[in-house]
Amino acid sequence: MADTPPAVEIRNLVKDFKTSFRRLPLRAVDDVSIRIQPGEVYGLIGPNGSGKSTTMKALLGLVAPTAGQCAIFGKDSLQVDSRNDVGFLPENPYFYKHLSGAETLRFYGKLCGLGGRQLTDRVNELLALVDLEGARDRRLGGYSKGMLQRIGLAQALVQEPRLVILDEPTAGVDPVGSRQIRDLIVKLRERGITVFLCSHLLEQVQEVCDQVGIIFQGKMIKEGRLEDLIAIEDQTEIILRDASPELLAQITALIASTPGAALVRTGKPRTTLERLFLREIRDDKR
Amino acid sequence: MSIAPHTPLKGSHAGRIFVIATHAFTQLARMKVFYFLAIFAVLAIASNFFDLPQHEGPESVGANVLHSIKSWSLGAMTLFSVVLSIVATALLLPKDVEDRTLYTILAKPVPRFDYLAGKLLGVLLLVFVSLAFMDVLMTVVLQIRTAMVIHEQEAMALGMGYTADAVASLRAETLANGPNAALQSAVFAVFLRASIMASLALLISTFSTSTLFTTIVSFLIYFIGHFQADARDFYLHAGQAGETGLAHWAALSVSLVLPDFQLFNVIDAVIEGQAFPLLMLAKLTLIGIYYALFFTLASWFIFADKEF
Repeated sequence: MADTPPAVEIRNLVKDFKTSFRRLPLRAVDDVSIRIQPGEVYGLIGPNGSGKSTTMKALLGLVAPTAGQCAIFGKDSLQVDSRNDVGFLPENPYFYKHLSGAETLRFYGKLCGLGGRQLTDRVNELLALVDLEGARDRRLGGYSKGMLQRIGLAQALVQEPRLVILDEPTAGVDPVGSRQIRDLIVKLRERGITVFLCSHLLEQVQEVCDQVGIIFQGKMIKEGRLEDLIAIEDQTEIILRDASPELLAQITALIASTPGAALVRTGKPRTTLERLFLREIRDDKR
Repeated sequence: MSIAPHTPLKGSHAGRIFVIATHAFTQLARMKVFYFLAIFAVLAIASNFFDLPQHEGPESVGANVLHSIKSWSLGAMTLFSVVLSIVATALLLPKDVEDRTLYTILAKPVPRFDYLAGKLLGVLLLVFVSLAFMDVLMTVVLQIRTAMVIHEQEAMALGMGYTADAVASLRAETLANGPNAALQSAVFAVFLRASIMASLALLISTFSTSTLFTTIVSFLIYFIGHFQADARDFYLHAGQAGETGLAHWAALSVSLVLPDFQLFNVIDAVIEGQAFPLLMLAKLTLIGIYYALFFTLASWFIFADKEF
């Protein structure tokens, strides 16, 4: 494992864009470094215009760094061969409307050098993975937003890459579609595929990511393991089932009698609005 | 940061270019661009009715109609092929950028040259198929009409007491205006000119920000190409530049970058029933290949460092 290069290594990345009228260039990314180990799911979060997409584009060689370096599994991002191991889903992709779902995957597969039986099997497998077998021969012009995102994810996976880069994968998708995409990301993690995603939907990132980086105005302001970042160090959570009022009173009294300890809050845990929505529409379908 | 050694890409350059080319062809075909072929069919048939009644002798019987079929057909082929090559090429690249499909392609192991060459070949394939269809239609119409004209001419000539030699000579003259190798060479020249325009539109679209700009500039260069040779001669011989070495270099540079479309006027001579010299065909082929390669390589030079 010591010899395995990181899936993503961005070192001191700086990206300036020329502006038309002002002489000062616009600094979109300012000295950002990211290291993602194989198999991890890394979430880059930040508000719109904070440099997330530019960082991803630099990693894919779509923009050239002003300073710094980007590498995918040890290969310089500016070299085409670094893309052998990466799949990319851009934000709000449209794809070719004149192609069907299966044709789209065949097209991207052929670009990656796949062909024959291998490509046919791969297309079938991916359509099953993203639950679009029923729409395989329908042109993408008739796909919903969620279906487009899923076919986009499938094309990103067509050459079985070890790294998948997702730029706002659930942008504009309804809660059901959003959940499906998150389930797919979890499946990718289970298969050992490294995922680098960026989003400004924090709850989604929290659900799927191992590592998180917070980028603001082009600078990385916080980075680390998700569990470490969101844990409140001086608090402990105990969740009880079927606890009687007497038991709760005893616990409260015990805490009150212990010097230095304080009860912060008691109450019932709440589900999220999204989980409630998904449960309700599932029940309604039955 | 340690950099791993290069690994070869799966598949060949030719394979990727072929995939992108066939995809571009499908994309354009599904935009229903082939509908214009119906217009061409109407034109080819309509040109049959332009037989002016000026039959002073068997030589002039049907001469107009054969000329008219060739003139209308080659004119329509030129118009359709140039418009198609410019507009289709100008459309493909900006559309991919706008729809972000370009990101998904360049994020795959696809060298940028393969992408550009594939798009260009897709357009050329479309132009070639369109011209082939129009050529077949023109040849069939011309073949039928030539046979009718020869039959008519021979009947009139024999009635007027022409000798067998004179009738054979008349037949040979009419066949020169029918479907022949010179006409096929002229169609190939139309394709070569369209190829130059497509590669030029590709070059412009690599730095242009809109389809409209690419289309307008391409058409401007197309028109300039029709009189640049005259302007160059005027500059060298009649203008203030005189015969200096600098003036020659400047004129040479212009002709290296801007194609001289007057060379393609040989197509008009073929319409008049003249031969298409093999040497001229070879020269036009070389010129077509030179400009198509020059513009494609220049496109690659700009596109290789373009940021998206």
